[in-house]
Amino acid sequence: MGAAQQPGGLIAAAEETARRYAEQCLRAHGLPRAPRPIDLAAEHPAAAAARCGLMMLTGDAGGEPELCPAPIAACADGVLAALEAIAPAGVLNGLRGSQLLTERAAITGALRNGAISPNGSCRLLQTCDGMIALNLPREDDWSLLPAWLEDRVEPVWDAVSIRVAARRVETLVERGRLLGLAVADASLRSGTGPLLPQLSPASGGGRGSWLGQAQKRPLVVDLSSLWAGPLCTHLLQLCGAEVIKVESLHRPDGARDGSAVLFDLMHAGKRSVALDFKTDAGRAQLRALLQRADIVVEASRPRALRQLGIDAPALLAARPQQTWISLTGYGRTEPQAQWIAYGDDAGAAAGLSSMLHAATGRWLICGDAIADPLAGLHAALAAWAGWLGGGGGLVELPLADVVHHCAGFELRHTPHERWRAWMQHLSASHQPVLAPRSRIPQAHAAALGADTAAVLSALQIEPAPAC
Amino acid sequence: MAMVLKAGARFRSAVCDAQVMVVKAPPGEHELHCGGAAMLGGSAPAPEGLSLDSARAGGTLIGKRYVNQDESLELLATKGGKGTLALDGMALDVKQAKQLPSSD
Repeated sequence: MGAAQQPGGLIAAAEETARRYAEQCLRAHGLPRAPRPIDLAAEHPAAAAARCGLMMLTGDAGGEPELCPAPIAACADGVLAALEAIAPAGVLNGLRGSQLLTERAAITGALRNGAISPNGSCRLLQTCDGMIALNLPREDDWSLLPAWLEDRVEPVWDAVSIRVAARRVETLVERGRLLGLAVADASLRSGTGPLLPQLSPASGGGRGSWLGQAQKRPLVVDLSSLWAGPLCTHLLQLCGAEVIKVESLHRPDGARDGSAVLFDLMHAGKRSVALDFKTDAGRAQLRALLQRADIVVEASRPRALRQLGIDAPALLAARPQQTWISLTGYGRTEPQAQWIAYGDDAGAAAGLSSMLHAATGRWLICGDAIADPLAGLHAALAAWAGWLGGGGGLVELPLADVVHHCAGFELRHTPHERWRAWMQHLSASHQPVLAPRSRIPQAHAAALGADTAAVLSALQIEPAPAC
Repeated sequence: MAMVLKAGARFRSAVCDAQVMVVKAPPGEHELHCGGAAMLGGSAPAPEGLSLDSARAGGTLIGKRYVNQDESLELLATKGGKGTLALDGMALDVKQAKQLPSSD
């Protein structure tokens, strides 16, 4: 079955899923007509998952690659094609959204490992009444487990899974969130997802100033770390933006200690500014940088920025031509604003593992930190569209919601029915299941703080007093 | 009122909004205070007539972890408030922020 019945009796070809997603994305950003047509070849969502490496990253370690019945790869292709249609001609040539979902695994060599994430930090764990995803990427997270479980526990996964098996999802998730652990109910969230994040132009920010903006290069200030935010600003940079990566001198992006190839790929060509957030002078410099940005990209909990004296709505009110991209786990409203998420647990929270369970009978992690690159792609489109429109306001991109939205895109049957139809298509199509591939970085990333003095001077921001 | 502190136990301030969860604790019985008054466990009602001691109103920030001198006690603030946390009469300090992960 390569087609789905649409209201009105029209048959929508599954091969056009990515195109329809691209069109939906552009409409959501108030751009029903892009300057250029959407450049996408017809491809079935299952073929896209097999071609881009996503299937290869899903399934048991010793078993066959598995197909998640969610059009994640097609949506990734669609959202990048939407960006390409509004970006300067040629800058994203040859790049496919789906390939960006898997290139980190291609670089690190991470492989599918069943209910364990390819990078090893996240696991699906059985409780007495359901299934949770628990992600412990920081060494320090392990020290919170006795408080989480109200019991002594050896800092090893086997001991954790025994304790978890005797407890209830609701308690584990509620207590874990209080402690700042990345823990999610993996069994929830079926059906169609929430609407795509909408641009919310602040009053005064005009729409549709295409030609004026197209001649300029937006200034992007990127406070994010790890993968989602850096991928977003990497794409903006390809589109012609000037990107300043701002880090805390005392707590730089942890990805600097990860794969150097990935870090170079995401950050080559960006300026690196390191500020001392512990001092008033450093925080004042940070605010000054943010006040000059056309686009801000950050992935902090709102309270973390407030503790630095940064209030996004207040800054936006003073600068309505700005577009502020807020990447969160579950959104900025309370209590969700307090919950953290990483790519793998957000994917499980969005229901990908439960869809795989419905299809295959096994609990599996889908892809490698899937919510990160998927949210990064959506963030790049929202940022560029907001800038082109003369200011997109505060755009929330909760990782779990972005995945949930894609997972539910054109879901007209049960996940199991969709999986059966897609598997039939796959076996008839002879599309091979390919391994993830990555691009090769063209240059090294700037060292931490390499451009601090130059950037502050160019933007006429007071340097920190020498001490 | 001295009490046994167990990992995972939750307490709230009797004189401000602060709430904490015990991450780890030294053995034995201890006095856990916030804002100059003993913290409350469970749903125990706050004794009447208590107010924030202005000399112990340095504030508690949500999300921060607080430790005693030898770091045998560690609390996580699950709700912020005006009072200063103290164990056996000694004010607690903010622990360094968690390092960011290198990958997720």
